[in-house]
Amino acid sequence: MRVSRHRVFAELKNRASAVSVFIAVVLLWQFVSANNIIPQFLLPPPSSVVAEFFRPGVDWPLHILTTLKEIIVGFFLGTLGGLALAVMVTESAFLRKTLLPYLIGIEALPKIAIAPLIYILLGFNDLARILMVILLVFFPIVLTTLTGLVDLDRNLVYLMKTLGAGEMMILYKVRLPNSMPQLFVGLRLGALGAIIGSVIAEFVSSNAGLGFLIINAQSTFKTSLAFAAFMILGVSSLALYGSIELAAFLAMPWFRKK
Amino acid sequence: MTSLVSAKEVGKRYVTVTGETIEAIRNVSLELHEGEVLAIVGPSGCGKSTLLRLMSGVEAPSEGSIERRQDNGFIVGFIFQDASLMRWRTVYDNIKLPLEVLGKEDNLKKIDELIQMVNLTGFERAYPIELSGGMQRRTAIARALVHEPNVLLMDEPLTGIDEITKEILETELSYIIRKLKVTAVLVTHDIGEAVFLGDRVLVMSARPGTVIYEVKVSLPSPREPAVRAQQQFADCCMAIRDRLNLLHPLRTREASNFDKTEIR
Repeated sequence: MRVSRHRVFAELKNRASAVSVFIAVVLLWQFVSANNIIPQFLLPPPSSVVAEFFRPGVDWPLHILTTLKEIIVGFFLGTLGGLALAVMVTESAFLRKTLLPYLIGIEALPKIAIAPLIYILLGFNDLARILMVILLVFFPIVLTTLTGLVDLDRNLVYLMKTLGAGEMMILYKVRLPNSMPQLFVGLRLGALGAIIGSVIAEFVSSNAGLGFLIINAQSTFKTSLAFAAFMILGVSSLALYGSIELAAFLAMPWFRKK
Repeated sequence: MTSLVSAKEVGKRYVTVTGETIEAIRNVSLELHEGEVLAIVGPSGCGKSTLLRLMSGVEAPSEGSIERRQDNGFIVGFIFQDASLMRWRTVYDNIKLPLEVLGKEDNLKKIDELIQMVNLTGFERAYPIELSGGMQRRTAIARALVHEPNVLLMDEPLTGIDEITKEILETELSYIIRKLKVTAVLVTHDIGEAVFLGDRVLVMSARPGTVIYEVKVSLPSPREPAVRAQQQFADCCMAIRDRLNLLHPLRTREASNFDKTEIR
């Protein structure tokens, strides 16, 4: 894969401007907080936030791994389930007629409101928290992928039929590759949903995790601890989103040439 | 002369999404002879493309029958109006598609041969988005021929590209068809293109389309661009125009209460 020097330079320039904005915001934040323009118990300075990571009493690896496990397992299962249902709905007119209206209806519901129900049904355990993540990943994947599987150049399907191809071959050779840009849109939305889902699930009930830390920090007015947990969540979001962007870049060379 | 396709009193009706029934073609009978290029010309919406799809065998007629010669299987090569390439595949992989579907991947030499024939050497690894309209059509032509079909079906294959590229491609297409000795059906609304590429031209009426006229084109093949200047070429075009009522459109409008004051 050859990437031109010009393109690398343009990419570095973009990244540099994003980093510059970050540095400027952190400096402004430090200035505003250190000079008590906004009281420190409301907006702790970045230095206090970073110090939280070295303070004894908070088991950071445990909390980070708990939340990451929920995000990754939920994201993986939600994606797999979403893809499978999108394919089934594409291939079956019966499922399309019977399930699609419900899918759209459920997608429109605020899924955060479902969280207490899930705990009532499954109990206060990891499974319930992961299911909450799955719910926030599953629907964007189903609906975006379905668009890509169905919305295609009809001539390509026709061409495959004139060559004697069956539905499975049409799915494999036409529908799935055609749906890739939409699938990656769904993955990006799903990644953000996974992070929101895990935090909400931990807000409702948990004994570990970054959401647990934030809700505890709120009740004890430890805003710097909450900010430290936000920071980890932000980095996790960027890492997950970046991985998806990289996967899209590698999987769709034809799309990046647009 | 052996017939590859024989259509008898064929009709086709569609039900639209609004529930309306449309009669696309009515009472069409035709024979497609082995080795010939049959052009079908007619106004927009007259059912030319429908007829082509019926000939391919993927769709069934509502009335009448279509028989296809099945000795070694009836294999079709299809060229669409807008190239219809797979945007996620390179030129090489787009051309390779029919071989993959038919399980003939041992015939990869044919791909290189066709890439050379359609002047795409050097663009094998390019994606459709990186190609000009003309190059996309060339890729589509190679894809339609790579699996050595019995019949090449072309649905307005050169519509939507500039006149210069179109003339070049018409000449190339004529050369390729003759060189590979392919039986072909060309559907077009371009009368000049139909006469340039066809051995016979069938003229269809407006919807519901039916064959109203047949012109035999006896010009030598493969055809050179200069053939357009020949009297026989002009005569064929004029005969088709006459049948399509294009020579005196105002007279026709006059007959249907056209107000002459409009053109003064």
